[in-house]
Amino acid sequence: MALFLVNVLDGFVTGLLLFMLCSGLTLIFSMMGVLNFAHASFYMLGAYFAYQISLVTGFWAGLLIAPLIVGVIGALVERYGLRRVHKYGHVPELIFTFGLALLIEETIQFFWGKSQLPFSEPAALDFAAFSIAGNAFPAYKVFMIAVAMGIFLTLLYILTKTRIGMTIQAALSYPETVQNLGHNVPLVFMCVFGVGTAMAGLAGVIAGPVLGVFPGMAVQLGSIVFVTIVIGGLGSLWGALVASLIIGWMQTFATAYNVTAEQVLTAMGFTKPELIWDHPLQDLWTLTLPQLGPILPYLLMIIVLVLRPQGLMGNRES
Amino acid sequence: MSVPAIELRNLEKSFGLAKIIQGVNLQIAKGERHAVIGPNGAGKSTLFNLITGRFAPTSGGVFLHGEDVTGMKPFEINRRGLSRSFQITNIFPNMTVFENIRCGLLWTMGYRYSFWHMIGRQQDVTEKAEEILAQINLTQRRNELAGTLAYAEQRALEIGITIAGGADIILLDEPCAGMSHSETDLIVDLIRNVTEDKTLLIVEHDMGVIFDLADKISVLVYGEVIESSTPDVVRASAKVKEAYLGASLEEEAV
Amino acid sequence: MSIASKTRLTAGTARLITLSSTMPWAFAMLFLLCLPFVFQTSSALTIMNQMAITIVFALSYNMLLGQGGMLSFGHAVYMGLGGFFAMHVMNMVEDGLWLPLPLLPIVGGLFGLLFAFIIGSFSTRRAGTVFAMISLGVGELIAACSVILVVFFGGEEGISGDRTMGPPVFGYEFLSQQEVYYLTVFWLLLATLLMYLFSRTPIGRIANAVRDNEERAEFLGYSQRNVRWISFCASGFFAGVAGSLFAINFEILTEENLNLATSGSILLVTFIGGVGFFVGPIIGAIVFTFLQTVLGLHTELWALYLGILFVGCVMFFPSGFAGLIAMHRRPLALGKLNLLFKPYLKVALPAITSVLSLAAILEILFHKRHGYGGDHEMVLYGISFDSTGYHALVMAAAIAAVSLFLVFRLLPEIRAAWDNANHAEAQA
Repeated sequence: MALFLVNVLDGFVTGLLLFMLCSGLTLIFSMMGVLNFAHASFYMLGAYFAYQISLVTGFWAGLLIAPLIVGVIGALVERYGLRRVHKYGHVPELIFTFGLALLIEETIQFFWGKSQLPFSEPAALDFAAFSIAGNAFPAYKVFMIAVAMGIFLTLLYILTKTRIGMTIQAALSYPETVQNLGHNVPLVFMCVFGVGTAMAGLAGVIAGPVLGVFPGMAVQLGSIVFVTIVIGGLGSLWGALVASLIIGWMQTFATAYNVTAEQVLTAMGFTKPELIWDHPLQDLWTLTLPQLGPILPYLLMIIVLVLRPQGLMGNRES
Repeated sequence: MSVPAIELRNLEKSFGLAKIIQGVNLQIAKGERHAVIGPNGAGKSTLFNLITGRFAPTSGGVFLHGEDVTGMKPFEINRRGLSRSFQITNIFPNMTVFENIRCGLLWTMGYRYSFWHMIGRQQDVTEKAEEILAQINLTQRRNELAGTLAYAEQRALEIGITIAGGADIILLDEPCAGMSHSETDLIVDLIRNVTEDKTLLIVEHDMGVIFDLADKISVLVYGEVIESSTPDVVRASAKVKEAYLGASLEEEAV
Repeated sequence: MSIASKTRLTAGTARLITLSSTMPWAFAMLFLLCLPFVFQTSSALTIMNQMAITIVFALSYNMLLGQGGMLSFGHAVYMGLGGFFAMHVMNMVEDGLWLPLPLLPIVGGLFGLLFAFIIGSFSTRRAGTVFAMISLGVGELIAACSVILVVFFGGEEGISGDRTMGPPVFGYEFLSQQEVYYLTVFWLLLATLLMYLFSRTPIGRIANAVRDNEERAEFLGYSQRNVRWISFCASGFFAGVAGSLFAINFEILTEENLNLATSGSILLVTFIGGVGFFVGPIIGAIVFTFLQTVLGLHTELWALYLGILFVGCVMFFPSGFAGLIAMHRRPLALGKLNLLFKPYLKVALPAITSVLSLAAILEILFHKRHGYGGDHEMVLYGISFDSTGYHALVMAAAIAAVSLFLVFRLLPEIRAAWDNANHAEAQA
């Protein structure tokens, strides 16, 4: 039971982290129709910038400055890159962001090399916040939850209580009407893209010490993020939240419980073949739940798509 | 009475709380040229979208030659002999004029999803496409990209694509919108020409066109058919005048 | 007028196979047959085989992206699975199954088709972003499975085989690289021809129609989903053929043949070549393989250069290399192509210099940052120097600045020449 609670908390952290990426991605997608393939790359940029800043000033300044830099870069990318490609349509835009993701990864390797960087949590948070039956829960993870929740609540407030939020909400439900709202649409787009990427950058900063800072961190998370918003329903913020949490818990629990196929199959009354290493069903017998963990989101995506093509909470078909 | 080409039974459509079409009953006989008129926002385009399967109705049914096609996809309805044009020009802009027409022909000429015919060698398709090009006066524009045509030519091409497949029920959504008088006359002649022996359902704002073309006229106001009769009756109807004037007065007031 | 159209009609359709339509194919065949006499080394043959495989793969990818409007981030799945199955069949041949090696690509192709059929059943319902995301998810799923299903995919080492164990074909056992080259080229020509012909069939043309305006196509009797599904299956087949050719050439397949990186690079290849043209992917595959193998030998930064080229391509010439070439059709038709020679020649030298000097700046910076174990000596373009100081960097920057200045000064002249070459004289 205690282990279960720890896993619930861990999965919650992962889920919220995913949501920080998914919410920005969803906002950008809903308003601009662009799926930003490079979203996870901005997350990676956040982590690298924070590392570089932390060498000079320590963790906390990095936490503030790195997302700002990422947001500015994001806004510039929108202004001078995406807007240029916009006239060719959404598919070329997606191809552009895909190219951008490649370019960011190569650029990061150019400056920081290929190996993992020693980016660790600040000393002030390097202690166990509490423990559940002997399982220590690090204070840093509490901090991560607090930051993610803070972002989430701010977003909720802005979207439901402010004028600009209303505009964005209108655009979420009726994308074609955003042009008629009398706002400076290109400026709104640039800001949304900047804010969305800044949120990804912030996620990168706080995830860096836990998940590691290395050139593959964007690819590692990127596909999962896209799968999450497809599961939740493209363009649905609530769907993104639900799907993020489901995937966070699914992955955490899959890695935490070492259920093997052998146990399951034996319990079902099958007997294990003697010479398992040459057996055609070898993989079936040696499969374990932690092994399956990484593919569960993709399986879930296919199941959702077959049963409900618009996603869990999506209402738009495309 | 023989089976009507199009029959609508208690057709209703709501978007959220807004009831756009509220119980339309309509029968259009085979070979009839039928026009739908009504003030802006009366639901004419929605009605078209319901008949052609672009939207599914909230309730009620659509029948083609007595067959229930309610809820079918556009391509299924098209295969049952109904073809339509669009209010906003809807062609394949990156293809040549000739190819546009050819796309309209392929399904009904039996080529369907074929990957064993070379399309350029199918004499029958080419001849038929040339024939239609001549009919819509675009033979000279044959090899130009459809997107580069003048507006009136694009509208003519749209009609060409619509009739190409040989459908016996043709729906035209404001074919003369945005055209000059002389262009309109040409298009009306063209429509009369290509819908010979076919059932035509047309939405149009230009009353000259309507009274020139239609055998029967239905008046749609706020999602309801208030009158459906011959042009003379409609012209004389007090109900229509009132609704039309009322609506246009309201429009002006806004 | 009607007489004119009649004659055009008969001219276009009467003769089944015209000289002008077969000439490019005959020329390509002759060229490919002669190539091994010019490039005889084993590594050159390997590069050419690699190019041929990439061409088939890229053309199959363009059946989706260029012709059907489907952006896939997981096309490597069909090439990889085709290749893995071909490899298993190759091993069955070793154990006694009768199948001549030249027929193996059909096997791989059929498996590619099978998986495209299954996955396409739910992924082709929508085009655009949704299709792209599903292709990504499926691609990741299969790539992740390849590590788990060790029996089939061979885990991290992958699976390998021996192509020479099949029955000899006309006395050939495919021991030498050259024999493999001719086998690959045979399939390259056959697959290219079939894909070209596919684009000219009713379904090929309707795929274009669905790409441009899916709604209009639906109102012409076509189910957009079925049209995409069929294109997807055909594309899967040829990807499987490419995978089999890979299996035959390299005799090993690993997770790398299935993963996102491979899927991404084929998008890059196809796009750089030009998605709007049938020859685009061919050009892209040749350029990419050349950059990867030749540039890769000389610099660690080749992937960065490729990324810059790709992003630049999306932003500034989205119709790719083929599009750049096709732009010159009009001047050619007007007989004014010669007007462009001189300005092009004039700008060539400063343009090449600026590219090389900008690359030099990157190379020097990279060397300064990651110089291994105090190794400060750097060789660039045959010049050896010390990378610790700033001399070399300043020099490179100065050359870059001067050459870029020259390029920008020449731009108006080029633009004027271009306008002139594209402008038909009055009544011309």
